[in-house]
Amino acid sequence: MLHAVDVHKNYGDYVAVAGVTLFIDEGEFVSIVGPNGAGKTTLINVLTGLLQPTAGHVHYKGHDISGAGPVKLAQLGMARSFQLVAVFAELTVMEVLQAASLTRLGRGMRLFHSLGSDREVRENAEHIASLFGLQDQLGVKSGQLPQGNKKLLDVASAFALYPEIILLDEPTSGVSTSDKHRIMETLVVASKEIGIKSIIQVEHDMDIVFGYSDRIVALYEGRVLADGSPQEIECNEEVMRNIIGREPVRNA
Amino acid sequence: MSTPTERTTGSTEVKHPDGKGIGLWLKLALVLLGIVLLALLPQVLSRYYIILMMPFFAYSIALLGLNLLFGYTGLISFGHALFIGVGAYSAAFLMRDGGLEYMEPLILLSLLGAVIVAVPVGLLAVRYIGIYFGLLTLAFGMLFYSFLLKFYSITSGDQGIRVEKPILLGFIDTTGIDYLTGPFYYYCLGLLVVMALVMWRIVKSPFGLTLRCVRDNSVKAESLGIGVYRYRFYAFLISAIYGGVAGVILAVSVGQVDPTMSYWTSSGNLVFMTLLGGFTSFFGPIVGAGAFILLQDQVMSLWEYWRLVFGAILALIVIFAPSGLMGLLTMGWKKVVR
Amino acid sequence: MGDVVSILMSGLFSAAILFLVAAGLQLVFGVMKIFNLAVGSFYALGAFFGATLVNWAVGEGLPQPLFFFGLLIAGILLGVIGPVIERLLRPIYDRDEAFQLLLTFAIVLMLEDITMMIWGSQPRSTGSLYLVYGTVNLLGATVPVYNLFVIAAAGTIAVGIGLLLSRTAFGRVLRAAADKREMVQSLGVNTRRLYVIVFSLGVVLSTIGGALVIPVTATMSEMGVELIVEAFAVVVIGGLGSMRGALVGALVVGYVTTLSINYYPPIEMLVIYLVVIVVLVIKPRGLFGGETA
Repeated sequence: MLHAVDVHKNYGDYVAVAGVTLFIDEGEFVSIVGPNGAGKTTLINVLTGLLQPTAGHVHYKGHDISGAGPVKLAQLGMARSFQLVAVFAELTVMEVLQAASLTRLGRGMRLFHSLGSDREVRENAEHIASLFGLQDQLGVKSGQLPQGNKKLLDVASAFALYPEIILLDEPTSGVSTSDKHRIMETLVVASKEIGIKSIIQVEHDMDIVFGYSDRIVALYEGRVLADGSPQEIECNEEVMRNIIGREPVRNA
Repeated sequence: MSTPTERTTGSTEVKHPDGKGIGLWLKLALVLLGIVLLALLPQVLSRYYIILMMPFFAYSIALLGLNLLFGYTGLISFGHALFIGVGAYSAAFLMRDGGLEYMEPLILLSLLGAVIVAVPVGLLAVRYIGIYFGLLTLAFGMLFYSFLLKFYSITSGDQGIRVEKPILLGFIDTTGIDYLTGPFYYYCLGLLVVMALVMWRIVKSPFGLTLRCVRDNSVKAESLGIGVYRYRFYAFLISAIYGGVAGVILAVSVGQVDPTMSYWTSSGNLVFMTLLGGFTSFFGPIVGAGAFILLQDQVMSLWEYWRLVFGAILALIVIFAPSGLMGLLTMGWKKVVR
Repeated sequence: MGDVVSILMSGLFSAAILFLVAAGLQLVFGVMKIFNLAVGSFYALGAFFGATLVNWAVGEGLPQPLFFFGLLIAGILLGVIGPVIERLLRPIYDRDEAFQLLLTFAIVLMLEDITMMIWGSQPRSTGSLYLVYGTVNLLGATVPVYNLFVIAAAGTIAVGIGLLLSRTAFGRVLRAAADKREMVQSLGVNTRRLYVIVFSLGVVLSTIGGALVIPVTATMSEMGVELIVEAFAVVVIGGLGSMRGALVGALVVGYVTTLSINYYPPIEMLVIYLVVIVVLVIKPRGLFGGETA
């Protein structure tokens, strides 16, 4: 589904991503791990079309999307959430989700229709809100939500696009440990509801990573160090020691 | 901090009044009351003040357009007076050189002129935000001003062009009646009501909501598939149309167009009015236009140094009451309602 | 040949004055990230006050050849309004750029009237005082020596600023603050005092620009409001925040205006704005934008 082939990204002399090749198929939940500066966010930005790769290309469902820009990719069925919470501070939860539905349905340009009269959009928004437990906060301005709910809204609005693949940049960062699992559970259930085929996340919390992923990709200094199932990664000494900071599991 | 083309921080830091403001029915009642009052004014006011209402109507319309850009899309234009000038001079040329006598085609064609100018300017300008957008629009405004000033053979330079009174609705002309304080006043009031209604629909539409997304977080908006430049461009076009109509009203009511209509300080005053009334409210700009004109008239008659007073007022608003008069009103209302 | 040299010198003179005002703009924008629309007003203040001070001083017996220093002193003295206005701007440092622009616009309005209140609307000038330095014949063109002094002064100031920014500790702090305000704060620098100094310096540069121009023109009531338009063109072309940009931008604008005035006056402002727009489109940060020196 999503193929990154030999992607490089340099900022001047600084090499952020040095030759990453990654294939994501339908039905996979992939976690990208690695220390800070390993190039994870840069990779995500390249994969989501925000950045043009210096070399290499990215294909999505057969199309070359290198540097296509987030707008085009959203239309193709790719969505993302942001590491630093991205909200529309002055818009209520309801309005945010309505906006996402509108774009999905191609109704964003309607100048003279009344927003309130569009039942389909409103019901969509309410449905997504309830999937994420935000149904009681529909009238609250996004900027005033508690931090955890802001993150949920960020993800929820991305989900409202009914994407086929979604990239989450640290979905549980800045959230208390008790909330983390709640968020991940909500995510997994919602993605089944919505029909999202693949999830890619960047995550630091290893419990979350090992608890939810089908596959783990370990990034180190811009390169893929290892790419495999949690069980395989657990046995990988280099990855466990350098990145995850635990002792590798010895084969029996 | 912002770069020329992207914003890395979120929305405006002004806290919009939260929770429910004044109730919807009450708002509607107030608006209707306002329209009725405006309709009755010619009966009570002296001729001097009725004439003063002309710029009020013009600026209200212009500011409705400006605030679509500023309050709803987050773009501060320091060149809105460009479109007022385009509208005004289009009307002047059409009447002088085109022999046009009727108001309705005058408005439509001047509007078209504003759109024609807005397309290239907008295509360029909406790629920039923040101060770069402000400076670019300022540059375009001044470009037009210098064209108006220097190309004497076409525009008569600083002398300006005289504008006759066009025929309203196909049959109302200046014979036998006081055109300005009579039919033209109501014509402008009608224009304001119509254009305000249209803007209200626009703002409450899906388009309006998407604009606000673009305003609050353009990066996130793009990730949702919102074509940020496209939306800004259309907002810019609409604001230009409103500016153009305002220009026609000014041209007719003053009877004269001159280059200073597009000088950068005129644009600055427009932004001032918007802020004075309150950019976070739909009616703020209208309130701002009225307050500005009234204040300017009163202060000017008392003291020639009205700019000093106005500068001080603007400073106070920016520092202490960025939500303007409507913001203060809403806050005060909430305290009363407690 | 004389014509060419004459144009050359005129352009240089315009550029010199423009550079001074633009440098004031750049310094403040670079460090404080505020685009100060009021530099034109400071320029006007410098012109009025300079004329008044010099006329008074010469009337009191100051030997005429020293009037140049009188102008410089006038500009420097006006620096006292720097802290006052900075105090006014302080509440909006962290606000949206729109508000910053508006507040400086408010200052423009106030200063316009304050200037009118103090000096009225009659044009002021120092008459033919500047001729006391005589003129010089350069390759067929007659150039007032005063103009050369101004060019030299602007050049010296430019070099001085360059050295200040690159060689002194203060300059280093300035450049660091331009890049990352928070970091500089955490390093223990008193940013409040820094801003007062920077802003006052910006004011002085603009007032000196205005003071130095007055001997060859007369004050006009709209001069502040009109100059900001040219100054703005200079910094946009050169790149917001860059001193080098101020220099190059000043030369570009100075020569474009001089050439237009000489060959086809109506297009003077038009061409400047076209250049501004072209630069903003091709390189929105200007020729040297993104730099702080």
